[in-house]
Amino acid sequence: MLQSESRETTAPMDRQTPVFIVCSPLPHVGKTLIARLLVEYLHADDRAVAAFDLNPDDYTLAALLPEHTAIANIADTKGQMALFDQLIVADGLAKVVDLGYACFERFFSIMQDIEFEAEAQKRGIVPVILFVAEPDTHSIQAYGNLQDRFPELSIVPVLNAGAGTPMRPRSGFKPNYALIPLHIPLLTPALKATLQRSGLLSASADNVSAYNTAELRAWLRRLFLQFRELELRLMLEALMPTLKFGA
Amino acid sequence: MAKPVVILVGADKGGVGKTTVTRALLDYFTAHNVPTRAFDTEAPKGTLKRFHPDITDVVDVTSTPDQMKIFDTLAVTDVTVIDVRAGLLATTLRMLRDIGFLETAKKHQIAFAMFHILGPSIASLEEISETATFMSDANYFLVKNFINNTTFFEWDPATYNNYFKKIKGAQEITVPKLNEMACEQVELASVSFVSFVANKAANGSPASYSFVLRGYVRHWLGTVWAEFDRAGVMDIVTPEVQRKVAAR
Repeated sequence: MLQSESRETTAPMDRQTPVFIVCSPLPHVGKTLIARLLVEYLHADDRAVAAFDLNPDDYTLAALLPEHTAIANIADTKGQMALFDQLIVADGLAKVVDLGYACFERFFSIMQDIEFEAEAQKRGIVPVILFVAEPDTHSIQAYGNLQDRFPELSIVPVLNAGAGTPMRPRSGFKPNYALIPLHIPLLTPALKATLQRSGLLSASADNVSAYNTAELRAWLRRLFLQFRELELRLMLEALMPTLKFGA
Repeated sequence: MAKPVVILVGADKGGVGKTTVTRALLDYFTAHNVPTRAFDTEAPKGTLKRFHPDITDVVDVTSTPDQMKIFDTLAVTDVTVIDVRAGLLATTLRMLRDIGFLETAKKHQIAFAMFHILGPSIASLEEISETATFMSDANYFLVKNFINNTTFFEWDPATYNNYFKKIKGAQEITVPKLNEMACEQVELASVSFVSFVANKAANGSPASYSFVLRGYVRHWLGTVWAEFDRAGVMDIVTPEVQRKVAAR
């Protein structure tokens, strides 16, 4: 029965605002790398992007991409307002949240308490959870919990070949709807080092030279194609209710 | 004609959140399309009136003209809610007895309910005992209000149950804590909880309250209303009123 006023902030149907939330309840599984790659992808696609770094122990994303990344702290209400009041603005600006493992539970509790999912839907904001799928019980449980708490949200497992745990079957991670898991291919140590010390790849001459190595370009191309496919699948999901055969 | 409903919200102790509960209650009836008016007994300034100015009058419940203003006009609307200021609960109940109101309620010509807001001290439990003597034929709701960070640490459950059982059919309602900053912002905005959630200023124009704070208030109010539903608050409203509401 409680309703929010949203008419003045509702986005037009043809302009949606994506919010990518990269997360895992575990540390050192490659969340920041994935968040960074999303920013690279959106930037390479000439789209404006704002990233938020929620890693209180180590603000790596903010250090690497300072012009695109704001440090966020959700420990108090002011910090929560600073973050979520921006995430809920339907301004067409893509947002990427690098959610540190220590903030995982708090972030999603707030999201649930303030009914972010319902309000986002009204405003034409498309939240997408990119969940780094590690084959341990804690991750599988956390993934299932998110699906239960946010049944309408797009939750996509991300299989990171470069994460610490050896690759094992990830049968506990079923993506919602028609989405498919993302695969982050293994990165050679040399390229990994390049990425770890470079800012935005297209932003400076040094970075461009790193970007121009065939190996990195090929690696990024594989990833960017997956991000593109994810966006297309999300668009298709949004269109489904309007299709006669989609009901 | 539908039987009028009178609801007292009170406690003898101050600062336990009577007005907050009254505001949630007024929003609840408004959301159910039940015509409601309120009396704010914090005369002369008033507190409740700031949040619900259109339906609230400030009265001095100890003065006869103001008692007439309330109780001689019960038929003008379906529900009358009275926010009783701290220290006046026992006095108000005695006045209701003296003017024959309690007797009328006993004969089921008026539906009468009491929301007794409990504080954390043992004195609050003793209040239940005193109040119980007036409430034999009323709907009695004991409200544990956590909005002010109350911990109810002084209560031994057995003692509490002993007091609770003194009132036949009493219902318990728990009001959870509301985020402090959200609470403060609604106070500053001087609007009802529902208006704050709907992002509207006091004059009805669009406001720019924080989405996060509105979310906290929406979540909290939803929880409080669920408690009202569970405790059967809408059941106080007579079947005639419920039929009218359903037809609207």
